[in-house]
Amino acid sequence: MNDEMEEIILEFITEAEESLDKIEPRFVELEQKGEDSELLNNIFRSMHTIKGAAGFLGFQSIVDVAHAAENIMKRLRDGEIALSKPLMDAILKAIDMLRLLLGHLKEKDGIEENVSPLVQELNIALKSATPKTGNAAQNKEQVVPSSQAPEDFPKPANVVQSTNLQQPSEPTDIPVNSSKTIITSKPDETPVQPKQHGAIQHPVKVCADSSMQPNGSGENDQKSNETQQPSKDTSQKAQNLRVDVNRIDKVMDLAGEVVLVRNRLLNISNYFDFKYTDDPMTEILMESVSFLDRITSDMQLAVMKMRMQPIQKVFSKFPRLVRDISASVNKDVELQIFGEGTEVDKTVIENIGDPMTHILRNSIDHGIESTEERIAKGKSPKGKIVVNTYQKGTQIVIEISDDGKGMDVDKLKRKAIDKGILSEDEAQKMSYEDAIDIIFMPGFSTKEIATELSGRGVGMDVVKTNISLLNGYVEVSTEKNVGTTFKISIPLTLAIIQALMVEVDGAKYAIPLSPIEETLKVAKKDITNITGQNVIVIRDKVCPLFELNSILGIDSNGHGSSDDAEYKYVIVITMGDKKFCLAIDKLVGQEEVVIKALNGLDTTTSYVLGATITGDGKVVFILDVAGMSRNLLGLAKV
Amino acid sequence: MPDLKMKILVVDDFSTMRRIVKNLLRQLGYENIEEAEDGAQAYLKLKNGGYGFVVSDWNMPNMDGLELLKKVRSDAELKDIPMLMVTAEAEKEKVITAIQAGVNNYVVKPFTGEILKEKMDKIFERLQAQK
Repeated sequence: MNDEMEEIILEFITEAEESLDKIEPRFVELEQKGEDSELLNNIFRSMHTIKGAAGFLGFQSIVDVAHAAENIMKRLRDGEIALSKPLMDAILKAIDMLRLLLGHLKEKDGIEENVSPLVQELNIALKSATPKTGNAAQNKEQVVPSSQAPEDFPKPANVVQSTNLQQPSEPTDIPVNSSKTIITSKPDETPVQPKQHGAIQHPVKVCADSSMQPNGSGENDQKSNETQQPSKDTSQKAQNLRVDVNRIDKVMDLAGEVVLVRNRLLNISNYFDFKYTDDPMTEILMESVSFLDRITSDMQLAVMKMRMQPIQKVFSKFPRLVRDISASVNKDVELQIFGEGTEVDKTVIENIGDPMTHILRNSIDHGIESTEERIAKGKSPKGKIVVNTYQKGTQIVIEISDDGKGMDVDKLKRKAIDKGILSEDEAQKMSYEDAIDIIFMPGFSTKEIATELSGRGVGMDVVKTNISLLNGYVEVSTEKNVGTTFKISIPLTLAIIQALMVEVDGAKYAIPLSPIEETLKVAKKDITNITGQNVIVIRDKVCPLFELNSILGIDSNGHGSSDDAEYKYVIVITMGDKKFCLAIDKLVGQEEVVIKALNGLDTTTSYVLGATITGDGKVVFILDVAGMSRNLLGLAKV
Repeated sequence: MPDLKMKILVVDDFSTMRRIVKNLLRQLGYENIEEAEDGAQAYLKLKNGGYGFVVSDWNMPNMDGLELLKKVRSDAELKDIPMLMVTAEAEKEKVITAIQAGVNNYVVKPFTGEILKEKMDKIFERLQAQK
């Protein structure tokens, strides 16, 4: 198989998967809206297109499945049969099968699926479908085989082979009742080139059997063709180019390295600026370095944008998911999605699906009440879940709200005590917010019997872990009988962050800048101790204060000046609704750092997110303030 | 015989299909091929001029192949551009509709380069004959 062919197949797989992603939510919409011919036609068209392209590429199983599903869609679209649940289920099965088949193609695992039972099932579903009107009784295929179609209309009499190319053939009559417009058509003048003659003699085979010309430059030609002719009317349609992710990641890595070198150069040039202020070369150096500084930032942004994709990619699976889950627990739930065009980093796309799925399951299973219960409460019989995504500063926020029964904090506490996760005493002291966070504790699940859905051996704690792996955090707000909202906040980019460099006990640390609200210089006398917890008052609000060195488990061995200084530097950190302060020895400055993962490090207890190399060439730990917030405040006795 | 240098517009909403058709055309020796994603985009491109041939899919969002065909045929500037319609099944009624709307020929998916060539040759032979 040559490269061109392989590329086409890859493109087909991606495009077909995207089509399926797009139609899946439409199904659920269809179920809600009833028979909407535009929706039906959309789904029909996707099946139709997938079938068409698969036919060219010789993927017969895909053709068979898509064809059977298309037949159903066609008759639904044409209003011949009525939409029903069995039909819908059959088509959803077909979509699943198509995904599976595409998956095999992608993996190149050579696994063949036996699609005939499914095709049969689809055909039976079609046959047993209720005809909509009296006349739609014919269950037979409406499609005429091509041989019966108007045979290659306007057929010139002696069209044996296009041999006499030079001479115009005799004006032949057109036997079919074709319109005169054909006759008026004017051909291009065509001096025949001998080369083309050759092309006739060598019949071109189906592209599927790899007879595609290994025309490497072809793609380029096409691209340049397209760019040469920017059509002024088409409002400069964005051109797309599919690129292997690994290549982008490589560029991303390299950009990261450039950032590090840039940081070092900045340091060095500052040194020169200080030491050789009057040297004309110093000025040139400073100028070049500041230019490098600027373009590095631009490059970083550009590379970051390359990795951004609309979150739609993740969301498109949810309507079906919600449909299936709510059906299995006998609840009626409607899903509304907003902001699906919001762009997020590819890593986020890859990792946010699971936690969100879990939250949705949880909302349907535990949040939304049964229809009877809802009616009894005077709520609308249909439960509603709203997913809303938006960008807020440098954060992406995803909110998942349900209008279910909300969480019962007392019940949560009791469960946690019963399970031995919490002591009576701890539960007593717990604030409302902290009590809600119980759901994120490992080994906690509110339903007595783990249901098929929520009880898959993973609890909500996994949600929290997964999101904090993305350097984000999740907050919950709930109100009894009104509903629950999960709010996930994730930084826009994960690889390169702005950090505040601080010093504690002579060692430097980097703290991600985004959760830092402010830095303060606090007089020691302003630090008070309330029931064993240090606090400071910031603009009339009490905020817990922690010593960074004690959090990190460093013994103060007189290295720093922390204990004898009159003042302390304090960083105020906001994590969602929570605010806390970290006391440090010195503020060093702000730096752009590239996160390098540290293998074999327990990130949950060490409060270390990763490491970076600073401008002066030192390895510095990047601190995980989200983790601190979780552990320090989760059960803090504030 | 069609001119190998003529500008051809391939219209299909599925980019894999555009690529397949383009590949087939390239095998036949055509180099100057452009693409459009639907009838509306195709029409705008055609209005920019210079096209000698159109290969269009039938079922597309926004403006489908038949609408494009009708629009082209009723446009004084474009009405003479030969058009080949790609369909998935040769449905009698559809094909007749297309013929009445002035399509020059149609081809059923999937097709080989050989078939494509045959269809194109026929179109241009016929046009030549009518001159």
